[in-house]
Amino acid sequence: MNQDKILSIRNISKTYAHGVQALHNISLELPMGMYGLLGPNGAGKSTLMRTLATLQDPDEGEISFMGIDVINQKEELRKTLGYLPQEFGLYAKAKAEDLLDYFAVLKGITNKAKRKELTESLLKQTNLWEKRKHKVGGFSGGMKQRFGVAIALLGNPKLLIVDEPTAGLDPAERVRFLNLLSELGENSVVILSTHIVEDVSELCTKMAIINEGEILSEGEPIELVNNLHGRIWRSIIQKNAFDTITNQHSVISTRLLSGKTVVHIYSEANPGSNFEMVTPDLEDVYFSAINGHIGKASLNPAL
Amino acid sequence: MIFLKIFTTELSYHFRQIITWIYLVALLAFIFIMKSVITTGDGVYINNSFHITAVSVIGGMIWLVISANIAGGSAARDAETRMHLLTFTTPVEKRFYLGGKFFAALFMNALLILTLPIGILLSFYLLKSADSELLPFSVLPYLNVYFLILLPLVIIATAFQFALSLITQRSLMSYFASFLLAFLGQILAIATARLFNNWDLVKLLDPVGISGIVGNELQTWTLLEKNTRLIRLEGMFLWNRMLWICLAGGIFMLSYYRFQFATIKRPTWFEFRKKISVSSVIHSGIISTSAIKVPTATPDFSLTSKFLQTLKIAKASFNRIARNLFGFSLVALAAIVPAFFGKNILSNFGIPVLPTTPQVVDFLSPPLGSIDSPYVIIPLLILFFTGDLIWRDRDANSNDLIDATPISNWILFLGKFLGIIWVIFAWMLILMLGGSFMQIALDYYHFQIGLYLKVLFGIQLVNYVLFALLSMFIHILANNKSLGYLCVLLAFILISFHDALGVHHHLLVFASDPGWEYSDMRGFGNTIFPWLCFKIYWAAWAVLLAVVAILFWPRGRLNFKDRIQLAKRQFSKAILKISIIGMCLLLLSAGFIFYNTNMLNKYVTQEDILNHKAEYELKYGKYRNTLQPQLSGTDLQIELYPEKRKADIKATYTLTNKDSVEIDSIHFGSFSEFELQNVEFEKSAKAVIEDRELNYYVFQLKHALRPGDSIKFSFEVHYKSVGFQNSNNRSLVEKNATHFTNLDLLPLTGYQPNYEIKDFQSRKEHQLPYRPELPSLYDERARRKPILADQNNFKVTLGTSKNEVAVAPGNLKKTWEKGGRNYFQFETDAPLRGEYSIFSGDYEVIKTKWKEVDIRLYYDPRHTLNIDRMIKSTKSALEFYTKEFGPYPYGHFTIVESPDNGNGMHSEASMVDFGGQFALLNPDVTPEGFNLPYYIMAHEVGHQWWGGAGVTPAYVEGAGVLVEGLSVFSGMQVLEKDYGKGHLEKYIDYLHADYALPHSLASPSLLQADEPFLYYRKAGIAMHTLQEYVGQDKVNSALSQILQKHRNGDLPLVTTLDLYKELETVTPDSLNYLLNDFFLTNTYWRLKTEKVEIEELDTDKWKVILKIDAEKFTVDEEGSEKNIPMQDWIEIGLYQEKNETPSEIYLKNHFITSGKQNIEIIVDKKPSFGGIDPRSLLIDIRVDDNLYFLED
Repeated sequence: MNQDKILSIRNISKTYAHGVQALHNISLELPMGMYGLLGPNGAGKSTLMRTLATLQDPDEGEISFMGIDVINQKEELRKTLGYLPQEFGLYAKAKAEDLLDYFAVLKGITNKAKRKELTESLLKQTNLWEKRKHKVGGFSGGMKQRFGVAIALLGNPKLLIVDEPTAGLDPAERVRFLNLLSELGENSVVILSTHIVEDVSELCTKMAIINEGEILSEGEPIELVNNLHGRIWRSIIQKNAFDTITNQHSVISTRLLSGKTVVHIYSEANPGSNFEMVTPDLEDVYFSAINGHIGKASLNPAL
Repeated sequence: MIFLKIFTTELSYHFRQIITWIYLVALLAFIFIMKSVITTGDGVYINNSFHITAVSVIGGMIWLVISANIAGGSAARDAETRMHLLTFTTPVEKRFYLGGKFFAALFMNALLILTLPIGILLSFYLLKSADSELLPFSVLPYLNVYFLILLPLVIIATAFQFALSLITQRSLMSYFASFLLAFLGQILAIATARLFNNWDLVKLLDPVGISGIVGNELQTWTLLEKNTRLIRLEGMFLWNRMLWICLAGGIFMLSYYRFQFATIKRPTWFEFRKKISVSSVIHSGIISTSAIKVPTATPDFSLTSKFLQTLKIAKASFNRIARNLFGFSLVALAAIVPAFFGKNILSNFGIPVLPTTPQVVDFLSPPLGSIDSPYVIIPLLILFFTGDLIWRDRDANSNDLIDATPISNWILFLGKFLGIIWVIFAWMLILMLGGSFMQIALDYYHFQIGLYLKVLFGIQLVNYVLFALLSMFIHILANNKSLGYLCVLLAFILISFHDALGVHHHLLVFASDPGWEYSDMRGFGNTIFPWLCFKIYWAAWAVLLAVVAILFWPRGRLNFKDRIQLAKRQFSKAILKISIIGMCLLLLSAGFIFYNTNMLNKYVTQEDILNHKAEYELKYGKYRNTLQPQLSGTDLQIELYPEKRKADIKATYTLTNKDSVEIDSIHFGSFSEFELQNVEFEKSAKAVIEDRELNYYVFQLKHALRPGDSIKFSFEVHYKSVGFQNSNNRSLVEKNATHFTNLDLLPLTGYQPNYEIKDFQSRKEHQLPYRPELPSLYDERARRKPILADQNNFKVTLGTSKNEVAVAPGNLKKTWEKGGRNYFQFETDAPLRGEYSIFSGDYEVIKTKWKEVDIRLYYDPRHTLNIDRMIKSTKSALEFYTKEFGPYPYGHFTIVESPDNGNGMHSEASMVDFGGQFALLNPDVTPEGFNLPYYIMAHEVGHQWWGGAGVTPAYVEGAGVLVEGLSVFSGMQVLEKDYGKGHLEKYIDYLHADYALPHSLASPSLLQADEPFLYYRKAGIAMHTLQEYVGQDKVNSALSQILQKHRNGDLPLVTTLDLYKELETVTPDSLNYLLNDFFLTNTYWRLKTEKVEIEELDTDKWKVILKIDAEKFTVDEEGSEKNIPMQDWIEIGLYQEKNETPSEIYLKNHFITSGKQNIEIIVDKKPSFGGIDPRSLLIDIRVDDNLYFLED
């Protein structure tokens, strides 16, 4: 099997009943390791993730994972799948250890002794051991999220899909969580969807930027950053000059810095003396893509 | 402003919900079905106010149970959708927030229920048939039902639903509120009314009105009132509205004050401490631990593993329901509470029944669709909890997590199904404990555990499990919570009312069966095998439904198209195999059942029977007045084969021409499906009509039968019960349970007007000419026809299997054994009239004698409780009636236990049979008690003089008074003679009790009585009162005169006019008004003792002044009341009560006139209570105000 193409997504499209096209002819090839799916809210990330997690069918297209036809062999895929949805609830009145035990059985771990060992370990790993006798209804956002991870990790998944996992976590929890994911990425496919650029830049070996149901850009983060080299310029301006700049240049991002505004623009030629060239980072790649400066059309000549 | 915003937002939400409109359509459908199903009586217009009121009340009930979610949603939707995180944090005040939500729900419900009056109005005009006449339109009845019945219901129900949902923050709890109001309210109201024997309490307590308005108030409306009368906001009904609105307000306020804009429970101190220590651990652990190492636990997808998964889900489902507040509590309540009222529940005519296990089990195991048992909660709980289980994951928003696991759909389905099965199993266990507890509470310890297990864990469990599966199937397919609940409820209603909706075949009604029954003699008889066949058939359906449910199991976020796609993809080989097996089982069982119910046996619906009757009348009604000889002799040879459900009958009839002209043709026929074979006439005769379809035969005699001459003819009937039927699988001949009458299998001579359709409406539908249900007393021609005509000298030889004893009327002439069978020969020593019965069973026999009469009692050896009592009563009654009325014509009297669970007795000439439940009646025979079985036996013996062998009245109005009324009176005298005044007074109370039941006061006179209430109750009271006023000897001598003049059954036949004439001759002129009031008019008294004052005149001299209010009025058949000036002799009584036993101080007739009056009496003891008509001799709807109790 081709090590580079473990999960392959081919020409996936999905239109919802109310007319919104969530996915538009998406094709991706995912290797082992951690893969970041970056995009703003409503870009179609969750639809794609749910489709990969067998919870939704595309209108068109095919998905295969290690020889499993994901759309037609859902149960096969689920045997090696770990899924952490963006938003989920738990049986509020159940105790943490009982609920994890329940999910372990659902995942097929029916050997009692092994299951006990596994759930105990997962509860410890996710720092919920002390809370194991508590009802999950009283869990905080972070605790719930960690519990979700514990569920996702049950049964040694080969494909781990985590949808916006860091949203509810405090900084420390986030770090630990991402470490955990990257470790898992060593021998499985981990797909991480997020709208936070750092999540991807710190960990992912490959990534894609998605917006309005389309893949705008795909590749290794470093490579994407390198492709942008020499095209991102920065200027520090007064607030009132902002409109002028917007009219004249392709502004990709603005940020406030000590009362002034730092503007990044995308320009293939030198935009002028007010601007200095900056070394692009992943955030610039993201904003350039979102603002339409790199996409399938504009990316090709650069490659 | 904020209030208005919340109000309108909430309202528009409801309007946008499809389910709101489905509720509306459901209500409309109900109205239109009711309109097309109900036919009004004669003289009632289509758009009568009775219909408007009744349909509104029942519609209100339907609204209550289906649309609870409107209020529930308003109360708890924010919390359920987690919107509350947003809404609760806004600066809205609680009163605006809850007020807006509540009033929106209230407004929505008030609007929705407006469908009822408007829909009813529309139904009158849209479904108007050409010949139906409408009353002129008036808006009043519609406003009346809306503002007095429906709107208060909406306010009460919305408050309850809203409050319960608000407290629990779960919208579905609103259905529980509805359940409490709809079912518990009714059941409690009826139970309370029964307990206090005051039916006004139902009006007070019933919140919905099914029993309070439809079952009570409306029943008192006369035919004419039905057109325009309206419910008035007064009396108990007014209190009802106030009571419930207060209760609703109370619970609403409670929920209002309990509600807080916060949902996270504050930790207790204990938890708080723990939390602190834990959180420190978390922080220290976060950064330092960097690697995650999960032990490998390889998932196992073997079959064993799947089995374990199923168990895990079943356990979780079971626990979920077990932890629900209502999971076990309601069933436990319904099992335990009756245990305390066992004496009232297991009773007949108010007499406790021995609490044997069959009796208790019968109470605990209503059919699935039965809605008048408290155990209707079981299907309703199944409906609720299956929905809860199916929606659990989605409600908790855990569905994405679960759906992405490799668990198979079928495991999820089976696991949840198994969970609910365990719950039902636990419920059955609770019922069994409740039943045993009831037996223990009644000091009865002979538990038939085997029977409990068979019925609860065999029959009932299977029914409930099948329903649970249907419910799961519907919930899964509907894929919308409210729609699912609505559809399951609809399915339940269809199951409950399938007969009313015209669906009779049990192959068409889910989980239904032909019914089963258990009696001590019969056991389950032949009912279990057909039951099992039907259940196999429905189990096959269940398998197919389960397959579809699994294929369509809601997983992921699939739209309808995707679900079908997925279902197609999942249609694996295994599923195909199961489907084929299910389908084969379905077809085989359906085929086998159909072969039994429709081919081996005739499938006969009620409509078929009516058609058959109509055809009979149309074809042969022309022979109605053809002169026929009478049956004067019957000679039967009957071979019974109980084990084979078979009987061979050879019969010879002797017919005698009792008329004065020659008869040249013999008409005969039977109503059984077993045709007559080998019909042979002793003299030459030729068949002119041989209609085997209608079983009508006419033979032309070669030589006409001259007056006084006789002719014999013989025939055979071969009865065999084969296979089973769609309903009633009792066979006439069965192991230890053979019972049939001549009407079941043997022919009668002549055309039988009795077989004609009687009901006015059905006659109209079948194009039969109008005829009164009962011929008029003043119809001279009808007065020539007796109820029973034959003078039948009866002889029978009965053969039965070697374990059984066969019984027929007559002297037992001979018994012998031949070929391993028992033979019995009976012969009567005086002619029988009409019906006679044949029995065979494993009977115990008691033989005894009263004078020259042989008395034989055949009974089930387990049923010994009432044996001696029956014998004693029989002897005493024979003695008394012989003395008072005239001789008993036979030298034999037979009492037999019938193999079924009947609770009464049934009398034929020289023979009385009693049911299995009668045998268990356990009366209190102390002087304070009431020995009803003793009376019933004496009553049946009375029929040997009245009806049966004795007097046979003309078949006209009032005939029932002569047969039943006089037997009641006879029995009462025997009861009084042997058990004293106490028992008799209990019986008189029993007769009066039905007057307290809500019913219309309109009624024909006793002379023209046409219904059992008059025959038994009013005639009994009338005769007894006459006895008290005129004297027992005089009344009895009047009755013996009737017998002397009419005993032989010759013309003119006796009617109530003869009874009246004889009574008139013994009644003094001063009391003539009493005869008039009781027999000629429908008269009521309103008697009341307003106050009793006493004054001590001297030692041992007391002056008593009673303030009396009296009134007398008649109500005619149309219901119009008329006051009658009173000049009546009525008893005034004074009593002294010492140690709770009252003794009579004074009892005399006083001359009472209409209106208020004072009565002064001097007595020598101090009375403690007293009043007018203390012994309830007169007919007074309210007897409880007759007496006034003095305070000490």
